[in-house]
Amino acid sequence: MPNLTANKSDNNFEGKTQQVAREIFKEIGKEQPSTFSLSSINGKMMAWSITKPDLKVNLFRLVDVLASLRSAKSIARHVHEYLGTQAKEFSSILAWSLGENPGIIRSFFTAQATKFGVRQMAKQFIAGIDAKDALPALKKIRRHNSAFTIDLLGEYAVSEIESENYLKRYLETLDQLAAVKDWPMLTGYLKNHRTESSAIAISVKLTALYSQCSSLNYKRSIEKLSERLYTIAIKAASLKATICVDAEDAGNNHLIYEVFKRVFSESVLRSFHLPAIALQAYAKNSEVILNDLLSFAEKRGAPIGIRLVKGAYWDHENTIARQNGWESPLFANKESTDANFERLTDILFANHNLVVASIASHNVRSLSHAIALAEHYSLDKNKFEIQLLYGMADPIGRVFSARDYLVRYYVPLGEILPGMGYLVRRLLENSSNESFLRRSFFEGQDIESLIQPPKFIN
Amino acid sequence: MEPTEFKNEPPLDFAIPKTRKVFADGILAIQTALSKGAFQVKPIFLGKEQAGEDSYRHLCPSHSSLTVAEIQLAGEKLTKLIIKDQQATLQDGWSKLPPNSRSKIIKQAADILRQERLRLAAIIVYEAGKSWREADADVVEAIDFCEYYAAWIDQYGHPRKLFNLPGEQNTQIYFGRGNAVVISPWNFPLAIACGMTVAALIAGNRVVFKPAAQGSLIGYEFSKILLEAGVPPSAITFLPGRGDTVGDMLVRSPNTNIILFTGSKEVGLSMIEKASQTLDHQFHVKKVIAEMGGKNAIIVDEDADQDEAIKAILQSAFSYAGQKCSACSRLIIVGDIYASFCERLSQAADSLICGPAEDPGNFFGPVIDQKAQARIAKIIEKNEKIFSVAHKGKPPSGGSFVPSLIFTDVTEESELWNEEIFGPVLAVRQAPDFESAVKIANRSQYALTGGVFSRSISNIELAKQTFEVGNLYINRGCTGAIVGRQPFGGFKLSGVGSKAGGGDYLLQLIETKVICENTTRRGFSPELV
Repeated sequence: MPNLTANKSDNNFEGKTQQVAREIFKEIGKEQPSTFSLSSINGKMMAWSITKPDLKVNLFRLVDVLASLRSAKSIARHVHEYLGTQAKEFSSILAWSLGENPGIIRSFFTAQATKFGVRQMAKQFIAGIDAKDALPALKKIRRHNSAFTIDLLGEYAVSEIESENYLKRYLETLDQLAAVKDWPMLTGYLKNHRTESSAIAISVKLTALYSQCSSLNYKRSIEKLSERLYTIAIKAASLKATICVDAEDAGNNHLIYEVFKRVFSESVLRSFHLPAIALQAYAKNSEVILNDLLSFAEKRGAPIGIRLVKGAYWDHENTIARQNGWESPLFANKESTDANFERLTDILFANHNLVVASIASHNVRSLSHAIALAEHYSLDKNKFEIQLLYGMADPIGRVFSARDYLVRYYVPLGEILPGMGYLVRRLLENSSNESFLRRSFFEGQDIESLIQPPKFIN
Repeated sequence: MEPTEFKNEPPLDFAIPKTRKVFADGILAIQTALSKGAFQVKPIFLGKEQAGEDSYRHLCPSHSSLTVAEIQLAGEKLTKLIIKDQQATLQDGWSKLPPNSRSKIIKQAADILRQERLRLAAIIVYEAGKSWREADADVVEAIDFCEYYAAWIDQYGHPRKLFNLPGEQNTQIYFGRGNAVVISPWNFPLAIACGMTVAALIAGNRVVFKPAAQGSLIGYEFSKILLEAGVPPSAITFLPGRGDTVGDMLVRSPNTNIILFTGSKEVGLSMIEKASQTLDHQFHVKKVIAEMGGKNAIIVDEDADQDEAIKAILQSAFSYAGQKCSACSRLIIVGDIYASFCERLSQAADSLICGPAEDPGNFFGPVIDQKAQARIAKIIEKNEKIFSVAHKGKPPSGGSFVPSLIFTDVTEESELWNEEIFGPVLAVRQAPDFESAVKIANRSQYALTGGVFSRSISNIELAKQTFEVGNLYINRGCTGAIVGRQPFGGFKLSGVGSKAGGGDYLLQLIETKVICENTTRRGFSPELV
């Protein structure tokens, strides 16, 4: 039986959480994540889309389409269609080159300026085309005494050829990461961190591994995905790498959890060190899933990793649910998700003998709650980790690193073209009204209001 | 005139394990029943089952060795009797019921459809060869039609006051046209049959419902549901029979007021011609509402999201083996992406799984019967010699399966580009630019559905203005219209009549009377007192 959560009814605990949060904000100081720094293109774009919400949709749609455009003429036309004369505010080049019917030369400059801008933005969130290309960026992370997990960006796999390519990419990525073994190990307190006995970690987007994956094609989906995840796991085991399986949308998650459990109960993989899977706090059934995973870990006889996230498919899930007349599988509002995140953190820590938790959030309140909770449970700093998205919240990461917590960056790799979907999602996330980063670093909202305890709202 | 009190019936969510389990149980129940013998279907007239004069055996499309239904077909004798009975319409109680009494009964039918949805869907899986999801959608659409038209009549069916001035009262009332004949297809054997039938009924007409032979079983079940719900036996006749005898007689009957037809262009056009003749003792002009198919095109612009486009094209072209009126059978790719897009699309098509419909893992199943199988196989064989084949599926044996096909560089004049095949056959060609692509798409006798994948604001606008189709889909597939949200129907040779599942549909089935009453007596106007 999984452990029950602690009784934290004493006011001290909430006080402690807020105390930690205040300190962390203080330590972050005036440093802004570069997403919001006005000196970067991202910052400019973010400021622009926040202050001109009516143009936000067009701006993001432009970024979305850009990578598929082949000619300068086509780029110039799209920039003009989406942004009109407003684009001129972006750069002095665009101010000159844009227009109704630009000639070859002006189109060329529009295309160059736009591509340059978007590439700059993408580079902030996407560390390289492949692992080899990203090695310098990864090394830098290591030098800061932090860890990483690799995420492969890409198109949907619409055919088996493409799914097999994905599998190949995962295997190649692991090979390319083999070099990491020779890097200096983490130092100081983090040397013996529970999750860092192996330094190579990749995140696997499972559904890409089988093009015909669907709940109706259940039997084949489970078989194919298990077979392919198994192949990756065997390879990872040979390199002493770890795997974290990503959670996706509700239509596929039941398949994903089933495959995870199936593969990592294989006798050959019993000794696999901390196979991990994501858990989405925005899902109403997340606690049921967590309890099931805890039972699985118990049965397996060796701990698993759980990457606790808020969840990245909110719009998608709600669109599907609304269009089909289904009840949404997610909490309707952000605050309930935040409250649930804290509750799940508690269950995870209470069961630290079965799971090693990765607390993945940019919300200082959520992270501070985890810190206070760990202290409450007298949980050692090396029994869990903090996860952040690469390029999104570096100042927060540095503060936690300085406090001797292991910070792991989720590092996307891929071509800019297929990576656009990821980029657009990140931009939308950061510019949304509910973004913690936006409220903290762009609007400069009062710290006290940012660190209040979240409540479940119906 | 859209009803405000209407909500679509949610489809099943197959991501829920329990839903898959109960659906599988429904499938198993039909399978078990069939192992004991085929279902028996008979005509129903005045609430009683009638002996047939001829018979028809419908084999399961997925398993040719399995007979799904043995159908007793009506012949001349029974049809004559029914045509004679049509004269009794004016005395019939159904048309005299207040509109909301009729709508109440149709809502009751919707409730029974809901209760029976798993059993009905399982019948459709075996009788029509539809996949789980498609069979469920068929039942859901039938429920939606009942609820939508019922909500419409509740809102608009009652006498309505028009502009009233002192001394003058103006009222508009609706009433049924009389006798409706519904001739339905096998491809949406419940949804379309139900949509046409309940629309005619709810508008105050009596209905003779003649299903396509291959959709007789579900048609029979549906007719029984209408009777169970409380539609008077005199108002609904279920008449399975051959088109060239029974169908022809019903269309020519001088007592028929409206013909609601969905099917092939040839049959539809001949019906329109026959119905246009006014016979002796026929004191009305027949109204024909016909949906007659399409040769639907999707245009993929150079800047399209290709991931999304490929998924949607495969769904539109090959789901239910391409046997939807709305299915995509022409694909026009703009500009330089042509070669790479065709390759990726074909690889994706190679990965699709075709097999028996009752196995939920199969993306699509068989075509409706061996006759269709032979016809499509012949078309494929002929065109393989003319055009290059980018994809050819490998269907299993044992049922009326045909391979899915993607032909590339198909010429505009060819039969393949112009004629509706009603199978999983997709013809592809390139267009130099978006404007030409729309022009190519428009050079068709049909105008039913069309799709566009583009991320250019101006090209999307151009498509909205100039793409000649009844239902235009932007950045999504071109099938799967939903009642109320995407009222469905085309123009040109795709059909005549208002869109099914839309606010104008019932008006075609209704006569309107406007009454103007002078309310003054000796200069005294009650309104001014």
